Amino acid sequence: MKKLKYFIVAMMLLSSCDDELEMTNPNQRTTSTYWATEDQAFAGVVAVYNALTTDGTYQRTFPSFSDSRGDDMYGDSPATYLELGGQFAIPNNAGEVQWIWRDHYMVVFRANQVIENVAKMDAAVISEDARNRILGQAYFLRGLAYYNLAITYKAVPLITVPPADKTEYYPATASEQELWNHIYSDLRLAEEKLPVSYDNVVGPDRGQKGRATKGAAAGMLGKAYLYRKMYPEAETQFAKFFTGPLQGVYSLVPNYRDNFTTTNENNAESLFEVQFSATGGSIPNWTGEPTATWRQFIALPVAYGMDGKGWSDYQPTRWIFNEYRQEKTKDGKTDPRLAATILFYDQAEGFTSAYGTPWPADRRNQIYPRKYTMEGLGVPIETPETGGVNYRVLRYADILLMYAEVLNELNRTSDAYSYIQQVRNRANLPDLSTVKPGLSQAQMRDQIAHERALEFAIEGQRIQDIIRWGWLYDPAKLVMLKEHDDDFNTWTPGNEYLPIPQTELDYNSNLLPNSAN
Amino acid sequence: MKHKLLIKKGWVLVLFLWCGSIVSAMAQGITINGKVTDASGAGLPGASVVLKGTSVASSTDVDGNYRLTVQSGTGTLVVSYIGFLTREVAVNNQTSLNVVLETDAKSLDEVVVVGYGTQRKSDITGSVAVVEVEEMKKVSTNDVGAMLQGRVSGVSVNTDGQPGAFPQVRIRGIGTFGNSDPLYVIDGVPVSTVPREFNPNDIESMQVLKDASAGAIYGSRAANGVIIITTKKGRKDTPLQVGYSGYYGIDQVWQRMPVTNRANYQTLNNESRLNSGKPLAPANDPMHPSYIDDIDTDWQEEGLKTGDRQNHNVSFSGGGANSTYNISLDYFGNNGTYVGNGPSYERYTARVNTTLEKGIFKVGQAFNYARSNENGLVTGDGVLAGGRPPLINDLVFAIPTMALYDPSNEGGFGGTLSEREDAISLNGIGYNSLVKNTTDVDRIFASVYGELEILKGLKYRLNLGYDATNIRDYNFIPEFNLGYFFNNNIARLNDNSRRLQTLLIENTLNYEKTFGQHSLAVLVGQMYQKDDGVYRQGSAEGFVKPYLPVLSNGAISDASGTEDSHVLASYLGRVNYSFADKYLVTATLRRDGSSRFSPANRFGYFPSVALGWKLINEEFINLPKTIFTDLKIRASWGKLGNENIGNYLYYPLINSNVVYTFNGQRVLGGLQTNVYDESIKWEEKSTANVGFDAVLFNGAVDFSAEYYNSKSEDVLVNIPIPASVGSVNAAPVTNAGTLRNSGVELSLGYNKEAGDFRYGISANFTTLRNEVLDLGDNAPERYGVGSITEVGGEVGRHFGWLADGIFQSQEEIANHAFQKAGTSPGDIKFRDISGPEGIPDGIINENDRTYLGSGIPKYTYGLNFNASYKNFDFTLFMSGKADYLINSRLYRSLMHTAGDDNWHEDILDRWTTVNTDTDIPRLVHADPNENGRDSNREGWLQDGTHLRINTVSLGYNFKEGFIKGLSSARVYVTAQNLYTFQKYKGYNPDFTAGVFEPGFDNGSFPRPRTLMLGVQVGF
Repeated sequence: MKKLKYFIVAMMLLSSCDDELEMTNPNQRTTSTYWATEDQAFAGVVAVYNALTTDGTYQRTFPSFSDSRGDDMYGDSPATYLELGGQFAIPNNAGEVQWIWRDHYMVVFRANQVIENVAKMDAAVISEDARNRILGQAYFLRGLAYYNLAITYKAVPLITVPPADKTEYYPATASEQELWNHIYSDLRLAEEKLPVSYDNVVGPDRGQKGRATKGAAAGMLGKAYLYRKMYPEAETQFAKFFTGPLQGVYSLVPNYRDNFTTTNENNAESLFEVQFSATGGSIPNWTGEPTATWRQFIALPVAYGMDGKGWSDYQPTRWIFNEYRQEKTKDGKTDPRLAATILFYDQAEGFTSAYGTPWPADRRNQIYPRKYTMEGLGVPIETPETGGVNYRVLRYADILLMYAEVLNELNRTSDAYSYIQQVRNRANLPDLSTVKPGLSQAQMRDQIAHERALEFAIEGQRIQDIIRWGWLYDPAKLVMLKEHDDDFNTWTPGNEYLPIPQTELDYNSNLLPNSAN
Repeated sequence: MKHKLLIKKGWVLVLFLWCGSIVSAMAQGITINGKVTDASGAGLPGASVVLKGTSVASSTDVDGNYRLTVQSGTGTLVVSYIGFLTREVAVNNQTSLNVVLETDAKSLDEVVVVGYGTQRKSDITGSVAVVEVEEMKKVSTNDVGAMLQGRVSGVSVNTDGQPGAFPQVRIRGIGTFGNSDPLYVIDGVPVSTVPREFNPNDIESMQVLKDASAGAIYGSRAANGVIIITTKKGRKDTPLQVGYSGYYGIDQVWQRMPVTNRANYQTLNNESRLNSGKPLAPANDPMHPSYIDDIDTDWQEEGLKTGDRQNHNVSFSGGGANSTYNISLDYFGNNGTYVGNGPSYERYTARVNTTLEKGIFKVGQAFNYARSNENGLVTGDGVLAGGRPPLINDLVFAIPTMALYDPSNEGGFGGTLSEREDAISLNGIGYNSLVKNTTDVDRIFASVYGELEILKGLKYRLNLGYDATNIRDYNFIPEFNLGYFFNNNIARLNDNSRRLQTLLIENTLNYEKTFGQHSLAVLVGQMYQKDDGVYRQGSAEGFVKPYLPVLSNGAISDASGTEDSHVLASYLGRVNYSFADKYLVTATLRRDGSSRFSPANRFGYFPSVALGWKLINEEFINLPKTIFTDLKIRASWGKLGNENIGNYLYYPLINSNVVYTFNGQRVLGGLQTNVYDESIKWEEKSTANVGFDAVLFNGAVDFSAEYYNSKSEDVLVNIPIPASVGSVNAAPVTNAGTLRNSGVELSLGYNKEAGDFRYGISANFTTLRNEVLDLGDNAPERYGVGSITEVGGEVGRHFGWLADGIFQSQEEIANHAFQKAGTSPGDIKFRDISGPEGIPDGIINENDRTYLGSGIPKYTYGLNFNASYKNFDFTLFMSGKADYLINSRLYRSLMHTAGDDNWHEDILDRWTTVNTDTDIPRLVHADPNENGRDSNREGWLQDGTHLRINTVSLGYNFKEGFIKGLSSARVYVTAQNLYTFQKYKGYNPDFTAGVFEPGFDNGSFPRPRTLMLGVQVGF
């Protein structure tokens, strides 16, 4: 039996395996050693941008659900929810409602990591300029995400640091005021820290277009103030583009359609746009874990593409189509923005083909979106995962019209004319101060509403304008909206927002439903 | 009356003549009397007494007495009784012949393989079920798990009819939320992945360890139960034996879903659109030039074909004085029933088992090589929009106005157009024919052991196992146009490979000693297991036609890859002690360490203890041995662990491949994209088990009953977190939840032999009760598809609204709680049962959802009957489940009120202004009332109770030498899955499902009826 003892001891010694249990992941490094170099700080903020390219952010559902709730678009799809979205009747368990929420909070989670960690980095490893640029972009992207969440869901939880552990996964709904104050704060910090351009910066980001800039932050901050009717603050912001530090940085591109094609992206009119590409990568970027082989397509083109060429999930309303024809250009032609925005058949005006082939004979009375499709860009048919148009989040034309609106609200109605006219000039429309001189403040409001509708149709703007102008609660305006788009017949008070997703209410007991639940 | 009387007299005469002949026969020979007893002198009732070589036979009465008349005083009597050794006695002119039969030690002392050793069946204290392997093998399937369906109490198997399908094997219910697959141990080696590449023909014996005590020696791996498989070995001192067995059969789907034809479809679709104010689809509008009246595709008729299956097995076995060998070669092939590229499955296996021994050394090895090729039924990943169900559903709800073929479409198959049919409908036959989706697997599974008897009774054993699997997943999607939503302009190839390896090293010491009435067996050991995986993905796109789909031929290609490892290191010990063959004790302890947990939580300790009391050997009870052959009661308690989660989940990671393209310039980004719970630790499951085993009437009756109650704590589960966290992984793994499972398991066997006629019945019956005791702090409930998992209830109860019939008028709607703005007569009325304050609030919303029934079968049962008469044998095997409700995605899709798919014929009874007495709501295109929501409306939840006739088989054994050169030969015909008694309107009431929606049938593949002809011969 003595032998046995020795044997057992020997066996156990020979095979003590506890040390073998320490396995490290060979594929990914741990967070504990990250955020130690400037390169990692730059990489961190790049990963925040990545979250703008999924289904719930700018790839498809956020822009299309914003569009369809406006009076310029309606859902026309066998996928019922795409119709119900525009009818203000989307159930709170619809995937679309969850995706917009989910993907915007991915932007927030990633931006929070950058803000928390890059701020703490030792000055020895990161230059102050680089730190400011990186933090500025993170603040901008977080501010943009909360802006989109606020205009879509009204009140949402405000999360500003990454969760330390699982007890912090269950935030309460913030008040609207807290939320907006934080949006202002993020965008203000972004404006402070960001460069006007990356052309002359020192770092790996030198010369890169598509990054957030001082102008993007200043403009978004103005837009946020305007949404909340904080006119003096908005005025200060927009004035920076005309008399302040941003004067002369931006201009309207001569050809309106250059804002919506793949050929003239990141142009002089663009304050911020989300980058998309028709090629490269094998893993579709609908959502999920990003990989090195991710594509970066935009799915709006296939969703908006006409019957037979795309999914035709949404169509423009007759009202917006006709609205473009209300006023002729100086040389007596149709507003050129119509053909850039809407795809239609009109033999007299020479619009007889679509996607390079003649219009189908039985569809000539139909109208389809052209803006944000690949029509005319050399593709015979729209397919999922091959859309490549950048999504313009903020254009200089918007700055001009928002400034005009602010001036009008601050009782400087006559000052508004020149800014509106800059936008009209590109469309070759006559001088507003000649055709409609001396408009009252109220008349000017309606004029600006008309100008905005034409300039920004199918750009996700209209529902935001309708909400902030209070039209849904103005009986006369509501009647008008119902005339524009019968989707408004099913609107009920509070339902102009998307409901808080049911799963989110199910999983987070601290969360409150909103008026659309 | 006279007539009748005459007739009666006639019968009496016939009766007399017949009896008379017997009387005369008796008068001609001699009569032998006697008694058949067991060794203790107790008479054996029903024993068979036959004069050898004749049909002269008798059987004993209740006291064991018999009486037999024979022609002469020479000859031999053959006396047999189940459970006893058959005895032959020469008559030698005796007229009184008492026969004492010896018990057949083999049958009572059947040896059962338990973890790290064997035990006499009668000494087992835990819950161990022995599978009747020969009966089990009468089922034709590629998978050993599927064979277990209905065979063993406490084991529930769900599987569908797809060739190569993975069955879902659940031992004693849902014990965890994660991977609930049992552990398979083949020839002593735990197998990490489901043993798909294993040939069931190689099985010699199979045991299922169900409770904590039996499984305890496998510690962390055994929480879901253990299936122990021993493969066939050769026999010592036996010359080469060559055997062949094989079958060929045809598969046919016998179920058809009654769907509407073109005319009905168009009428219904038009009605649905008119009711919502939507213009008619041109294809369905008789006034429109695009109206379709010449296409009426019967998708099931076109898409289901006759499949086939075959199996061929050749074995060579034998042995010398110190060695044995067994070599087996096997082919299994199954072509499925869906027209197109898949599903089909074929597998080649080769196995060599040898043992060598000399003196104190013993060495053995088992080597198994398998290759399988599978054409999977394709899925829509990446190409088809939206979460589509399995392709089988498309064969049912595709619209009849879609053409099967359309030469003008790229690919040649028909599809729909938004401007024509205005319906999203997939041509499943086209898709399954265009897309190629294959999985090729090479697997080597080898084990070697060496045993050394150090001292008498003390054995050291080294066990080495190596399991290597190489898998190629190939998927080619050509350019195609299948119409609206289903087109692909860029041909794409994914050519991926996976290499999985498992290395196992085990050192064990076994000591056995008997002294006096004490019997002791001690086992100590140590094991180390490492799993490695390497995963590579290659993809390419942009192929020129005609296609040569290899990675190099794509215009653009990219590659990616990852690898991972997992280590488990354990110490184990077990003591078996028995006293006087009456009292049995088994105690086990295992310490497991897993690389999946942080150092602080790495180790788990898993003890168990079991007691047995053999009442049969207890003198003071003195059971009558004529009735009781064996009787034992047993009880056990033990704790087991579970670490069936992914690797590296206990610390947060950086994803360094988060790309963004700035104006055409691709830049790599990186940060944390997922959240992790760093505090994860072992899941623990404790089980208490009590049971008793009885063998009656010398083995004629075998009965076993058990009750168990298990509690799983700190269940490792992906708990959904709010999306506001911003993690890509919306449900990180965490320890949350406590589950209880309890149930009763009964099994009964009965064997009877009467002359040439023998038969046996075995039946098993299982009850299951599941309860969720805790789900973690911030997750009071967990939702599945139409289901809820909540504390106090069972896993995945059906959940939704209560339907209260149909609104007949606008007035009725106005008087009811508010449902939806678009609610109209013909819509379903849902009950207002609650509100934000917990009382009905006049609004139908999510507060009005409630429990609608169970998705887990309460009862599972199986019944096997086999019989033989002379050279014929017969088997009937049935199994089923009872008392649960099924949410059928297929049926709900077919009864939609909202969209454009085809309909079940049940919809013809929908509500209309002229057909108001119905449960089926009106058709309206966008379903403004959400009639399709989860509810208990008619058909939305269906009774799943069923009884399946799995096998009916008839065989014939040729007499030895009947065919020259053959030592044995048997031919048989089998009908498999002959019929299922079910109310369910889907295909399979025993579909496989997700953990949190056990009652949700996403679209299981129909199980075909198979007719097979087979042969087994020995040379």
